[in-house]
Amino acid sequence: MLGRISFDAWMPFIGVIVLIVAGSFFFPQILSAEYLTQQLQIAAFLGLLATGATIVILLGHIDLSVPWVLTGAAILSTALVGSGNPILSVLAVPAALLFGALIGVVNGIGVAILRIPSMVWTLAVNSMLLGVAVLNTGGFNPKGESSQLMVTMASGDLLGLPVSFLIWITISLALTYFLIRTPFGRYLRSIGFNEKATFLSGVSTPSVVFAAFSIAGMCSALGGVMLAGYANQAYQSMGDPFLLPTIAAVVIGGTSILGGRGGLFGTIGGALFITLLTSILSVMQIGDAWRNIIFGVIILVMLLFQTLRKGAAP
Amino acid sequence: MSPLELEVSDMFDSTTPLLEMQDISMHFGATKALDGVDFVCKAGEVHAVLGENGAGKSTLMKLIAGVIQPTQGRLRVDGKEASLNSPKTALKHGLVCMFQELSLVPDLTVRENLLLGAPGAGLGWLKGRGLDTAQSVLDRIDGADIKMSQRVADLTLPQRQQVEIAKAIMKKPRLLILDEATSALSASVVEKVFDLVREERDAGTAVLFISHRFHEIEALADRISVFRNGQCVATFAKGAHDYGEIIDMMVGQKIEELFPEKSPHRNEAEVVLDVRNFSWEGQVRDVSVTVRQGEIVGLGGLDGQGQGAFLMGLFGLLRKADGTTAISGQPGEIKSPKAAKHQDVALAYIPEDRKTEGLILDQSIEENLELAALGRSDLNAGDAGLYAGTLDQLALKHGGLHLPVSSLSGGNQQKVVLAKWLALKPRCLLLADPTRGIDVKTKTEIYAILRQLADQGTAILLLSTDYEELIQLCDETHVFFNGEIVASLSGDDLTPQNIIAATLNVSSEGRVNGATEGQVAHA
Repeated sequence: MLGRISFDAWMPFIGVIVLIVAGSFFFPQILSAEYLTQQLQIAAFLGLLATGATIVILLGHIDLSVPWVLTGAAILSTALVGSGNPILSVLAVPAALLFGALIGVVNGIGVAILRIPSMVWTLAVNSMLLGVAVLNTGGFNPKGESSQLMVTMASGDLLGLPVSFLIWITISLALTYFLIRTPFGRYLRSIGFNEKATFLSGVSTPSVVFAAFSIAGMCSALGGVMLAGYANQAYQSMGDPFLLPTIAAVVIGGTSILGGRGGLFGTIGGALFITLLTSILSVMQIGDAWRNIIFGVIILVMLLFQTLRKGAAP
Repeated sequence: MSPLELEVSDMFDSTTPLLEMQDISMHFGATKALDGVDFVCKAGEVHAVLGENGAGKSTLMKLIAGVIQPTQGRLRVDGKEASLNSPKTALKHGLVCMFQELSLVPDLTVRENLLLGAPGAGLGWLKGRGLDTAQSVLDRIDGADIKMSQRVADLTLPQRQQVEIAKAIMKKPRLLILDEATSALSASVVEKVFDLVREERDAGTAVLFISHRFHEIEALADRISVFRNGQCVATFAKGAHDYGEIIDMMVGQKIEELFPEKSPHRNEAEVVLDVRNFSWEGQVRDVSVTVRQGEIVGLGGLDGQGQGAFLMGLFGLLRKADGTTAISGQPGEIKSPKAAKHQDVALAYIPEDRKTEGLILDQSIEENLELAALGRSDLNAGDAGLYAGTLDQLALKHGGLHLPVSSLSGGNQQKVVLAKWLALKPRCLLLADPTRGIDVKTKTEIYAILRQLADQGTAILLLSTDYEELIQLCDETHVFFNGEIVASLSGDDLTPQNIIAATLNVSSEGRVNGATEGQVAHA
């Protein structure tokens, strides 16, 4: 399996090591187990979102509805728990996942059936979800709380590792297996390269698009549930800061933004790299403004790098 | 070239050819479209260029028209080295090309199209100069009813070609390239166009003439060059060789040797594919076709006469298509390619454009081979044995199945498309021009495997733009015109004359059937 992993996918891991080594000269505490496990825990939130985004980007599309699927799932799950009804509170996590899958289906309808560019359609869906959330809460922070399960998922430890990290890696492994071993995975990449030829090969391409967007929606929703568990509440716009880092993590992980080429292994590295970079920048007391500029530059450099490499190949 | 030689060639201006190409090569990636071609074109002469599809004729014309630049080689106009780096430069030298793909802008009027790129156009005011010439040309070639204010989109295909001709002539060419310029015109109009061309020639214009119709070349050409596989294999005066010899030069071997022998016709054989009254949005009208076991049935006609849509419709690619399709007597509704490839139906479709429709160029040969078989529950797509037989028989040349399919040449790519579908053991194979732009050797291999499949009981429906395929390979050929089958030819009726006549919807004597729309069905 390691043989399939391209050099591009190893790059972010090299970047992570460079960051840790370089950072430790200025802040020796970076090398502590405590700091590193905390980074794993935080990387898991971004990593889950980026996992879903990778699936959609492999397909040759993009999902910009991540922020408000995440927020919606968080509001829904905390509200169910906050109702005090024990049955509703058990249903909180499944309901949030169902919500994510549903929005994925809505995205799929726009992209596969109505054939509207995903960049426009998912942005519109994101905006509508924002509207619904504001209507629902009147613009105030929604009431509610997290269940014990949600808190454990976000902040628990198992065998010395954060539960959130284990969930992320388990899902990544399962989906990687799915991508490599099933026709679905082959179809996904084939559509990313050339949808027409895939359809003409007798593949029901709309079903693949639906499945991919549903998986992405569920990943975003799970991320939302866990973030709500982490903060023990949901709040408006909690997903907004995640959109750019999510796409950055996928691109840094070596997945082509044009679709077809890439995989989840690189995305794991991408999410770790972004999380670590954010953390080190904030330790160095560099402001949000510079952080955003740096993210933008990293995305551009990675895209440039991919384009140049592609141009160099015969 | 030394200064002395230059002087000498200048002194003999009368014998200096208008255009001289020396050792010209044109490579597209690994494909050599032209390979060391020497070509000379003299003023006051009609020079016909012959060759199969993909022989390099169109590439040569594009080089002369300045659309593309050669990979290597030298080009001289009036004995002086020239670099034709844009169509504008070519036009400055008086090199005018009328392309076979129509180059008119559909949404502009005839007048606007004629003035596009006319001398003196560009920045500044549009001048009407030259329009008189265009109008008189149109009048002479039966185009008097074309109004200058008509939108080109509203013109029929023949009318557009007439406008193209007028547009080319009003540029006052010194070298006029006619690339399949008369393919849509009826015989009487073609004769008038030829008169015009002869007049231009006598006035000192050099004419390069590309056509697939031998009688046109017979009527017009003074000199003939034959191209094969990107090389100019012979240049001679008309009459020096007869048709048979010329065809042998074009294909490099005798035509009969290219095609496998047909099987004895079996009228009582089981019907595999039975399509009744197929119609689609006015573009395909009431088409019925049956294919019996062991038969290869051809679909012919000019581009876009409905034959392509018909094939796509059979494979479930068209919405709102009417008609019934029965496979081995079982009626089935085929709504999508997925339904079409299901083992109960087992249709396979080889699309027209292998690069964008047949293959995923970025993926490996292996992955491409597996893509169609993956969705079939009765097959294990990962089993290399599914494809090995076909690949061996077609002699696929590759450096490893894990390499990207884009590393293969065009002919080998088409072999991958075939192997991908033949792995599904289709009961009926639909092919849309599978040999377009492919070398002769690969063509022969594809013909052999198609005939073998037919003998083994696969029904084959072959759309082709190549008359020879329709005649030599097919047991029966249906010719489409304007969405309908206007002729169904088999046995001794399957002749080039009959196919060409049906293609243009004229009877063999050369009269146009039907007034304008060609609604008259052929016998």
